[in-house]
Amino acid sequence: MYLPDFEYYAPDNIAEASKLLTQFGEKAKLFAGGTDILVKMKNEVLAPEVLISTKNLGMKEIEYVSGKGVVIGARCTHNDLVKSETLAKKYASVSNAARQMAHNQVRNVGTVAGNISNAVPSADLPPIFISLDATVKLVGSNGERTVAMEDLFTGPGKTVLAQDELITEVVVPDQKMTGSTYIKFGLRKSGALAVVGVAVAVQVENNVIKDARIALGAVAPTPVRAKKTEEFLKGKTVSDELLAEAGVIASAECKPISDIRASAEYRTDLIRIFTKRALRKAIDEGHV
Amino acid sequence: MANCIVDKDGIKRYLVSVNVNGGVFTKVVKANTLLVNFLREELDMIGTKKGCELGDCGCCTVMLDGNAVNSCLVLAVDVDGREVTTAEGVADGEDLDIIQEKFIEHAAFQCGFCTSGMIVSSRALLNENPSPSEYEVREAIAGNLCRCTGYVNIVDAVLDAAEKK
Amino acid sequence: MSVKVNRDYSYVGKSLDRNDSYQKTTGRAQYTGDLKFPNMLYGKLIRSDVAHAIIKNIDTSEAEKLPGVKAIITARDVPAMKYGLSPARFDENIFCTDRVRFNGDKIGAVCAVDEETVYKALKLIKVEYEELEPVFTVEHAKKEGAPQIFEEYPGNLNTEIHHKFGDPDEAIKDAHYVRTDVFQGQRTYHAFIENHCSVGMWDGDKATLYSSCQSVHYVQYHLARVLGMKMGDLRVLKTHVGAGFGGKLDPTGLDFAAVILSKMTGQPVKMFYDHAETFLNGRGRHPITMTLTTGVDKNGKILGHKYTAVLEGGAYTGLGIASTYYAGSLLGVLYNFENYQFDAYRYVTNLPPCGAQRGHGQPQPRFAFEHHIDLIGEAIGVDPIDMRLINARDANTYTLAGYEVKSYNLKAANKMARDASGWKEKRGKLGVGRGIGVGNGGFVTGAGFCQYRTDLPHSVGMIKIYDDGTQAFVYSQAVDIGQGSDTVLLQMAAEAMGYPYEQCKMYAGDTDLSTLDFGAYASRQTLMAGWAIKRAGEDIRQKILDQAVEMFKASGKIKEGWAYIGNRELRTDDLDVKEGVVYVKQEPSLTLTFEEVARRYFVTKGVLIGRGWYHPGKLGGNHKGAAVGTSPAYSSATQIAEVKVDMETGQIECVDTWDVHDSGTIINPKLFHGQVHGAFYMGIGETIWEEVLFDKKTGKLLNGNFSEYRLPTALDMPPVLSLTLDESWEPNGPYGLKEVGEGATTPTMGAVANAIYDAMGVSMTELPITYEKVWRALKDKK
Repeated sequence: MYLPDFEYYAPDNIAEASKLLTQFGEKAKLFAGGTDILVKMKNEVLAPEVLISTKNLGMKEIEYVSGKGVVIGARCTHNDLVKSETLAKKYASVSNAARQMAHNQVRNVGTVAGNISNAVPSADLPPIFISLDATVKLVGSNGERTVAMEDLFTGPGKTVLAQDELITEVVVPDQKMTGSTYIKFGLRKSGALAVVGVAVAVQVENNVIKDARIALGAVAPTPVRAKKTEEFLKGKTVSDELLAEAGVIASAECKPISDIRASAEYRTDLIRIFTKRALRKAIDEGHV
Repeated sequence: MANCIVDKDGIKRYLVSVNVNGGVFTKVVKANTLLVNFLREELDMIGTKKGCELGDCGCCTVMLDGNAVNSCLVLAVDVDGREVTTAEGVADGEDLDIIQEKFIEHAAFQCGFCTSGMIVSSRALLNENPSPSEYEVREAIAGNLCRCTGYVNIVDAVLDAAEKK
Repeated sequence: MSVKVNRDYSYVGKSLDRNDSYQKTTGRAQYTGDLKFPNMLYGKLIRSDVAHAIIKNIDTSEAEKLPGVKAIITARDVPAMKYGLSPARFDENIFCTDRVRFNGDKIGAVCAVDEETVYKALKLIKVEYEELEPVFTVEHAKKEGAPQIFEEYPGNLNTEIHHKFGDPDEAIKDAHYVRTDVFQGQRTYHAFIENHCSVGMWDGDKATLYSSCQSVHYVQYHLARVLGMKMGDLRVLKTHVGAGFGGKLDPTGLDFAAVILSKMTGQPVKMFYDHAETFLNGRGRHPITMTLTTGVDKNGKILGHKYTAVLEGGAYTGLGIASTYYAGSLLGVLYNFENYQFDAYRYVTNLPPCGAQRGHGQPQPRFAFEHHIDLIGEAIGVDPIDMRLINARDANTYTLAGYEVKSYNLKAANKMARDASGWKEKRGKLGVGRGIGVGNGGFVTGAGFCQYRTDLPHSVGMIKIYDDGTQAFVYSQAVDIGQGSDTVLLQMAAEAMGYPYEQCKMYAGDTDLSTLDFGAYASRQTLMAGWAIKRAGEDIRQKILDQAVEMFKASGKIKEGWAYIGNRELRTDDLDVKEGVVYVKQEPSLTLTFEEVARRYFVTKGVLIGRGWYHPGKLGGNHKGAAVGTSPAYSSATQIAEVKVDMETGQIECVDTWDVHDSGTIINPKLFHGQVHGAFYMGIGETIWEEVLFDKKTGKLLNGNFSEYRLPTALDMPPVLSLTLDESWEPNGPYGLKEVGEGATTPTMGAVANAIYDAMGVSMTELPITYEKVWRALKDKK
């Protein structure tokens, strides 16, 4: 296949990267792992005149900062998430979510920032991060700002990032949730986009749900919080019937489309099923 | 960017020095040169194959700094100063790697087209996890598609090559 | 036939390592796309982006100006003679002459100094079309007033078959139970990982073509015919081939363009496909609607069967006629019944052409019949395996079509599979969401007829012993596409000669160097090339033993009137040769090495060559189309699959599988079982996941990639237990062998579909049985 020609830059720091993004505007795209953008270029879906590589920008650490939470560098790969000891201790659900993505070779180069900023509705990291109330730090020529993960997405492939902004880190904050999980339903066990993705985080004490955050992927233009379902669960005693009812409510909170992989009807029912199952798993496993 | 030269038509090329299978090669490439083509065309190393060229089939798998990656989705300019291991470099000179021996013993290949990538993925796995479970073996090669073997003998071969717990 | 078989062989029956082991595991194996020649150019085909249109103008002027572009050709630059694979339907041109017939049809070729320039040149070519109304479904193709895709196929009907044996209507009238079911098979494709590639070059008047193909002979034959060349002036050969499964049997536009462009430019030309283009090359399974009606007696014995098959063929015929015949011609081999009506229709449409894919025309009909038989058994209270035992054919019988079946052990295969899988303990006892199902199948071991009308033998083998006797070179145009034909032919050669396997070397798939063989299809090579090579080996053996007689006598070791051999002269049949040692049977310590005998032969008589050939002879069946279905031998197989179905989501997981193959003598067990594994893999993929999809308005290929055309990954594949029957021995096969490569795909869809039915209780009659279809079926059932 043919990769079209492009100008290539590899800035040494974020300020330089921002400057280049401003300079070239719409003509430029950031380039991290490349597993998404190069495929789009080969398929002639995208033809950026300029690629700005992030390879010299660092941002590959995962560390726990006391009082803040787990700070994940934007250029961490998905396998970095899978293998992180910090995440294994603090947020195993994030590692487990990353492990369900694509396949090993892609996980070795695909990055957290790449997955998030591509903003495909079926992306796997946004739902689990949203359920854990994560925030994203954006840095541009005008300084830096922090945005809640769930506020980052505006439409399929669209985020609130300004032209000159880069994602530098994702922070999963200290929180009271006692259980969390992400279930991805794909059409085969590896190398499959999520037909639906359900992430939940719950705070359960004495078998009562004190708090719940539920994020649904692949069933709307962006990942969505199932807020009605969360409200329904708060204060209630855990039971199979409760979780089944939660699934029904969640299935009404999504707006899936029919595409080459699945019909809207199927996706809706899958949300019902996997919301129920994700809640059960998060409650039973009892770890975030 | 350093190591960039521009010709009379304004086309930019970059100097790339990369360690492939223990030998350092220095070549001049365009930005849009993919690692898989760099290996096959610039270095005449045809062990790495082109199949789907979109990162789905894994027959282009090489190790980049020890990690299995799809070389059809890596830019040659991005491997400057790094280490690449291809199928041709898994064996140690004349002696076959244990994975290669087990592949032969278990007839873990038929047409052989996926085999280069399969062996590199397996070697990357055993380097990091010398005694994987069957699930971990299947997970490691899930990005390597094989239409001939159904993976049956491949999984047996990799488990046989692994250190016994 | 229960035969106490003597299988005390040196090499046959042994799991020897493949002869290409070192190359393939060290990245040294060269495939066509790996070849490089000095001054080589790169080329690709120019394709249409409309499904049905008249070509008004092809403007290549911009592309020609691009630096590095060497030549661009279209229909006006190449012969207009039509070609195809079935002589009755030669309907394809090298490049479309006046109209394109599917979205992606070939209209020309470009070659340039490197790959990038070729891609850039393709973008500069502008084609003007007058679009015609396209036809994408059989319903539309059949309709009164529908666009005619070919003048020669009125009503877009490309093939029509009507077979009737006995009186099925009469037989069904008196049946205890009658049932009609309709099934749907989908379009799938071979999905080998290596894309087609061809490299052409000339030396004076002699052309050489490397092609990633299954048959160097058919490529040579068809190219020579269309290009007006003598076959001997066109050398077709192959490097390692990255699988075919039937998709690399038709000559491609790459083959023609490589030869034509290399002549034009005076430089070698490598023509190649991107992965999506292998989908556009097509030649995969036909979408097929199958209507089955069967009447049985109260025990489940089939009294009569009526079967209508409607195939959607895509734009060109290729092997499509044979596919249509195969859809019905082998049912009467598996099961023994006398009253059978088979009506089949193949329509052309404006989509990539369909053709032969592993199992050729049989796997989806097997899915249909095997599930249909289960439903009948359920209705009358007979266990699925018992249904098959009652109806399965026995050995040494004739089918209703007049085909002679010698060895046949389908009943034994069913019993062994039943016992190995724990069927009795599991069937009906696994609980909701778990199921176990059985499917039967089998295939021809080579077709009785060549693809084109000819009196040629089907395979010719030649073996040359090197001057000093230290090597044996084995020649055959048989092509190893991964199934291991090189290895098993070498094993048979070594066995037949009595010569060490390690010293045998294969020269295969080269029309100059190797001797005639029709290539890898219809699961023919192990039997047909095997016979030719075995006979060549026996020819060598005979010459060696004759030479050895002379040498024993001359050595003084054997005197005239030697008591051990009855006071007479030493004769050839007093000697034997095994693993490189010639010995006197009555006194084995008297030996000569094969090498010294061979060397002496070379010195006194000239080069030591063995020759052999094979022709299946006249095989039975007198009805029209009987040719398709004839074979010297028929394999049979039973497969059992165990599945888990998530009763909420419809997700299907295949958890365990068993195969018992009635394949006669197994030449190399390790390679044999590998074929079974791969066949299961393909069958499971096609049952649950695979389908080629097109845009309903434009006919554009939607999923020509490995992320949306889903093959099972290593995490999706179940374990496979592959077993064989010791007592299976085929007199028509060398060393008693029969096929496995294609036959092993034929039971799979039935077994998996039946297991899914057992697990969730709703009959799924449309392939692929996707998670969503199961979900919907379970929902609708409530």
